[in-house]
Amino acid sequence: MSRAKVERKPVAAVVVTVLFFAWLYLPILAVVLFSFNDRKSLAAFTGFSTRWYEAFFHDSALLDSLVASLEIAAVATAGSLLLGTMLALGLDRVHSWRGRAVGAVTLMPLVTPEIVTGVAALLFFTGLSVKLSLTTVVLAEITFSIAYVTVIVRGRLAGIPREVEEAARDLGCTPFQALRQVTLPALVPALVGSGLLVFALVFDDFVLAFFTTGVDPQPLPVRIYSSIRFGVSPAINAVGTLMLAFSALLIVAALLLPRLFHRSSSTRLDLITGGDRR
Amino acid sequence: MATDVRTSPVRPARARRRSSQRTTLWAMLLALPTAWMAVFFVASMVIVVLLAFGTTQRDGSPVFGTNLGNFTALWDEVYLRLFLRSVVYALATVVLSAMVAYPVAYAIALHGGRYKNALIAAIVVPFFASYLIRMYAWKALLSDDGLVNSGIRRAGLGDGLTFLNTPWAVIGGLVYGFVVFMILPVYASLERMDVSLIEAGKDLYHSPWRTFFSVTLPATRAGLYGGMVLVFLPALGDFVSAQLLGGSRTFMIGNLIQQQFIGGQNWPLGSAMTVAMMVALGILMFGYLRATATPARET
Repeated sequence: MSRAKVERKPVAAVVVTVLFFAWLYLPILAVVLFSFNDRKSLAAFTGFSTRWYEAFFHDSALLDSLVASLEIAAVATAGSLLLGTMLALGLDRVHSWRGRAVGAVTLMPLVTPEIVTGVAALLFFTGLSVKLSLTTVVLAEITFSIAYVTVIVRGRLAGIPREVEEAARDLGCTPFQALRQVTLPALVPALVGSGLLVFALVFDDFVLAFFTTGVDPQPLPVRIYSSIRFGVSPAINAVGTLMLAFSALLIVAALLLPRLFHRSSSTRLDLITGGDRR
Repeated sequence: MATDVRTSPVRPARARRRSSQRTTLWAMLLALPTAWMAVFFVASMVIVVLLAFGTTQRDGSPVFGTNLGNFTALWDEVYLRLFLRSVVYALATVVLSAMVAYPVAYAIALHGGRYKNALIAAIVVPFFASYLIRMYAWKALLSDDGLVNSGIRRAGLGDGLTFLNTPWAVIGGLVYGFVVFMILPVYASLERMDVSLIEAGKDLYHSPWRTFFSVTLPATRAGLYGGMVLVFLPALGDFVSAQLLGGSRTFMIGNLIQQQFIGGQNWPLGSAMTVAMMVALGILMFGYLRATATPARET
């Protein structure tokens, strides 16, 4: 064994990491590349063309699905931001057993396999004789996304000293005013970040939408699923590339947020690691 | 700790009024989301459990009931084998994810330098961008006339291989889909770890590998255990990977459940499958948490 220098690079780990990145990105790059292919082949790139994108933008059914997915994501983001923030604020200050019970229940969707949530939502809506539509998708997506908002906002709340709100109270604010004028503005980065994240998650979400959607128009992922079950096609590559690019943009924006708000934090990945808890 | 600062200088009566005012506000804030979750999450879960004891009428519509028929129907060789297969696939996914995720998290956390955050972001971004499209990417790559097989043929290495419809394709898809859930907690625990421990270990053991197994790995146990749960849960319930990359020979519980609800229209049986899966998950998780909690507390 060589004398271990502390600085020595772990060769094996670095090799695995390089291979991992290749494995992670190669399939995605192949999708992007072949979306610009001028032939139908998914194996040989014969020339550059945007015909699959043109086909997509002339396919009114697919465009309807795209609009439906954007609407679902927008409404679900607004709803889960409202409910998730209320929940985070409440849970942060109510320390009774009831508060803890509510906290545990609201985190449940995060550890429940998505198919279970989907099946449950389907049975719930059908049991109440609610016709499946984009509205039912939105309701199910909100239920699923509240937990993400709550976790992120609570992480941020933990980093705000309670004394700031107290000071506002001493200056004559009602609890609600203190909340609105002091605490909420400090939460803005977390709200924007979790909003972007939820929008991307809901826009891409397939499983819940699959179980709760009506017939027409279907959300984009559901439509894509039904066409790729029967094989691959270059048109799907074009749609897939657009979806990947759009979601990637949202997530990058969410990750870069802390810099945008000029906050120096120990890690720029607040969103993932749970904020300023450390 | 903040409490002393807050209460001591304030007149007691006012403090009490304040705190009661505040409690009302917080309780009001909690009310709406709590009601929402009670209706849309808890109540719908209860319906699943109730319907698992129900039956299907002749015309295919489900009715509630009190019989155990759906559960006894599950005690069937076909279903049991499928359940077992799902658990084996999910466990294989966990093991493979750990083997991939640990070195990656290790290299980035301890040797990533100033590129640490960029590298982790480069892993997270594609992960959040459409699971479905990423599964599709593999299907396109591995299909019989896909890029990999045409490469094999062009290189003169033979007629190509059948990748799809194999267990490895499905497990590979699951790892591809969920490995990030392992990387993030392991990375977080490695980041949090005191690096001087590793240096001390190297002085003590004189071998990087022995240092790793007796110092680094135990110190990051919590992250690894957490990651295992986070990968196992979605992997067990997944049906997209088996649907797109596999076939009927590699179907998992998720596919079975999905068939009952979307194709087969036997909702009570599907509910029973869902309940069985949740119960199995609950037992596994309970046993797992008990087994891993004790050693974690010792450190």
